[in-house]
Amino acid sequence: MHTTTLAMNTSLLMIFALLIFPLLTSLSPTPLHKTWAVTHVKTAVKMAFLVSLLPLFIFLNEGAETIISTWHWMNTLVFDINLSFKFDHYSIIFTPIALYVTWSILEFAFWYMHADPNINRFFKYLLLFLIAMITLVTANNMFQLFIGWEGVGIMSFLLIGWWYGRADANTAALQAVIYNRVGDIGLILSMAWFMMNTNSWEIHQMFINSQNLDLTLPLMGLILAATGKSAQFGLHPWLPSAMEGPTPVSALLHSSTMVVAGIFLLIRLHPLMENNQMALTTCLCLGALTTLFTATCALTQNDIKKIVAFSTSSQLGLMMVTIGLNQPQLAFLHICTHAFFKAMLFLCSGSIIHSLNNEQDIRKMGGMHNLAPLTSSCLTIGSLALTGTPFLAGFFSKDAIIEAMNTSHLNAWALVLTLLATSFTAVYSLRVVFFVSMGFPRFNTSSPINENNPLIINPLKRLAWGSIIAGLLITLNLLPSKTPIMTMPPLLKLSALLVSILGLLLALELASLTSKTFKALPNLPLHSFSNMLGFYPSIIHRLTPKLNLILGQKIATQMVDQTWFEKIGPKGVSSINLPMIITTNDVQKGMIKTYLTLFFLTLILALFISII
Amino acid sequence: MLKILIPTFMLFPTIWLVPGKWLWTATTAHSLVVASASLSWFKWCSETGWVAPNLYLALDPLSFPLAVLACWLVPLMIIASQNHVAHEPLTRQRTYISLLVSLQVFLILAFSAMDILTFYVMFEATLIPTLIIITRWGSQTERLSAGTYFMFYTLLGSLPLLVALLYLLNDTGTLSMHTLQYIQMTNPDTLGTMLWWVACLLAFLVKMPLYGVHLWLPKAHVEAPVAGSMVLAAVLLKLGGYGMMRMMVVLGPLTKEMAYPFIILALWGIIMTGSICLRQTDLKSLIAYSSVSHMGLVASGILIQTPWGFTGAIILMVAHGLASSALFCLANTSYERTHSRTMLLTRGLQMILPLMAAWWFLANLANLALPPLPNLMGELMIIVSVFNWSSWTILLTGLGTLITASYSLHLFLTTQRGPTPQHFISMDPSHTREHLLMALHLIPLLLLVLKPELMWGWCF
Repeated sequence: MHTTTLAMNTSLLMIFALLIFPLLTSLSPTPLHKTWAVTHVKTAVKMAFLVSLLPLFIFLNEGAETIISTWHWMNTLVFDINLSFKFDHYSIIFTPIALYVTWSILEFAFWYMHADPNINRFFKYLLLFLIAMITLVTANNMFQLFIGWEGVGIMSFLLIGWWYGRADANTAALQAVIYNRVGDIGLILSMAWFMMNTNSWEIHQMFINSQNLDLTLPLMGLILAATGKSAQFGLHPWLPSAMEGPTPVSALLHSSTMVVAGIFLLIRLHPLMENNQMALTTCLCLGALTTLFTATCALTQNDIKKIVAFSTSSQLGLMMVTIGLNQPQLAFLHICTHAFFKAMLFLCSGSIIHSLNNEQDIRKMGGMHNLAPLTSSCLTIGSLALTGTPFLAGFFSKDAIIEAMNTSHLNAWALVLTLLATSFTAVYSLRVVFFVSMGFPRFNTSSPINENNPLIINPLKRLAWGSIIAGLLITLNLLPSKTPIMTMPPLLKLSALLVSILGLLLALELASLTSKTFKALPNLPLHSFSNMLGFYPSIIHRLTPKLNLILGQKIATQMVDQTWFEKIGPKGVSSINLPMIITTNDVQKGMIKTYLTLFFLTLILALFISII
Repeated sequence: MLKILIPTFMLFPTIWLVPGKWLWTATTAHSLVVASASLSWFKWCSETGWVAPNLYLALDPLSFPLAVLACWLVPLMIIASQNHVAHEPLTRQRTYISLLVSLQVFLILAFSAMDILTFYVMFEATLIPTLIIITRWGSQTERLSAGTYFMFYTLLGSLPLLVALLYLLNDTGTLSMHTLQYIQMTNPDTLGTMLWWVACLLAFLVKMPLYGVHLWLPKAHVEAPVAGSMVLAAVLLKLGGYGMMRMMVVLGPLTKEMAYPFIILALWGIIMTGSICLRQTDLKSLIAYSSVSHMGLVASGILIQTPWGFTGAIILMVAHGLASSALFCLANTSYERTHSRTMLLTRGLQMILPLMAAWWFLANLANLALPPLPNLMGELMIIVSVFNWSSWTILLTGLGTLITASYSLHLFLTTQRGPTPQHFISMDPSHTREHLLMALHLIPLLLLVLKPELMWGWCF
């Protein structure tokens, strides 16, 4: 075998082996050592990251991509399902990033969760979560992809509900699974469709076989799936609720696993989509709506984690817009850069929350820049990268997306919504930085503020480097598959920056209002709309379950089962038979005189008739 | 065949002659040996698919998995009932185990019968031990009405089947499964033939049970002791599916239109029974209704009559057999500790029995069909084949998967998560026996992921 291929395949499979090894050690009946989390899980992820650099470099050097089909799993007649891994530029680039980010998060988690008695189990869950995500990313087969897809879903259930004594955590966990299941219906629909029409679930075979077919139905299924997993508008409320989990979980969930899976699915299957205008327009509008709506929600939240969570949702909307623009590679670029700064933002907020005695309300923070300089610097870097400040990570993807959008002749409505959302990004990012690290402290005096722990500093530094240079590195090395438009009027070129700066100025002005009584009462309806998340959860979360539960109780159980089926079935049969039984029974009560009289009379009658 | 049947028969002397203190150990060991020996059936293979060691008994890829499942379940039933039967007099314990074993005999004979009529007789014969188990060892007075429901629903369905089979025998002169597929029914459009079609399937649809004739199932499950629930959910319901797949080949051209109302009913039943599960307060009743919903999927997969539908049906039958039986065992472990089936009273158990919570979680994941468990393989194949029939069905099946996930996780969250209530003053720790029981349910399920062709039916 060629050396390149050999090195590539070996190292790729080695990544899986390295990640699975700690899980195998955890099966041993002897209790795990207290530091198992660090010595096994973190080391495994770190090693896997280092190993995954090898195929990355080979790819960057030679452009080598590979598909490994290893095991014929099952078949029905002529339809077969194989275990098959696809390492194209998407998975080769994404895997090291996911491993790098997870490595930092794990290190941080060891500090954050150090008081938890089940920390080893927590790390095992995180590792399984990561493995499921890597399975999803590298799958070349819809079935295998579905394994990863459901795997991240169910692991998020466990992780969000980590503090299972709390009802809120359990509700949030259940919510995540149910919303994801709605999306799964779409995935199942398109899997069924592809099975019927292309007779294959191998992704490259699906591409070839579906060339002359009308793909609108399965694509809608895929978009529904992505809507559920990536929390697009309509199925978004689970994402902010997922904040009930520990902060490292949020960091992992929002950066490189789970929520980007939906977008990744669409990127992976984009060749099916690129000629279907219906699907593209749906993505565009859905994404634009999501990005604006969630950015609006982020504006008035006071929980630091909620703000960061809504910003994720908003960025996911932006990715969806990019897919609608027919630019999957840009969406992928944004996934990659977003992973770094979003993980960092969560780690920073985790560190701050921990320092302030589990205080999550940004109104009760302030002045952290003097007390926790590294954390708050990283928070600022992350926010700036998120806003799209030039030459930080977010700039390379976000600016490119907005440019591509400005120069395309698609829906102007979607464009306006996205630009508005971009300026909102600047507003809420500034709000976080302003409330947390600037001004004067507003927290209790005896807060145990201490960030001088290598377990906090190292991951933050690593991610900060990533947030600064990752965008540049990836942009320099990734060959665009679609021709980018190079020339455009200066106003269009600068529009992303301009709206961000506009948002920033506006936010500064608004922030200065906090210390002045400019108006006796703010405009409450607008504030409530944003603060109550558009009233979406209050309506949908009450109405839908209520209708369904009424169906279950009143109609399905009481009316149909306990009344109609009983009446028609057993009760009906008995009530029909009972009168007959009673009549027959009544006649036979041992009254001998009556019987004899009857017998005598009939005998007389018979004789009488026979004589005549 | 005799290699398995004779050791199974020899279980009776073991039960009745072994000293009292060795009763449970000896029977468990013996039946486990039989169960492991039955695994050798997987190695049987032949060109035609059928393996017929004699004139009366034969197995083919459709019946292997179910026959093995029936054998596998007996040691599990014995292990599961050990605790709640152990305080009864010795003779009754022996009787109880004898009943379980007699069920195994009937089930093996039913799955390996070569003749439809033999199958029918064995199908009916399983009623007797099950009825005794429910009405004698159930714990409440409602067990009598549950027994009546169980008996009469099944009989009402299966007596027409007997008539239909005799008619077929009269018509063709044979009921052997070898020749059955070559039978051509004449004039398929008359009312009589249609009635005959219904009579042929009704018994199995009641046994499955199809939505609408399912009332007996939750009652029987709720009232039966744990072994009864286990065997009912795991194997007895599957008799219905198996019988339907066998009869389908005869029913030929008629089925295409005749099956429509039944498919619709089965699919609608998935939603309705799923919604019922969301509102159940009774642990066992919830699991029973979830069985009805899964069996609805199986029924529609069979009635569709495509290779994918059949394959999906047999996979889901085996996988659901293991998963639902595991859930009933778990329900029983908490019942033995809290003495209540009400979900509101058995909450927050993870704090007290952490390993049990892990089993609950796995069993619920199997119930909600997490990939790559065989449950998902089965459900996916049935959904695909029904989708192929009419794409609108995805609404029903998709909603069904959503509801299934909701109630499975609701079951898990309610019983395991949350704060532990105050009334658990003294609670037994979980026994090794119970963990073994769960492991013997779930490990086969996990291993089947690696070699799914064992239960792939005719179409691998």
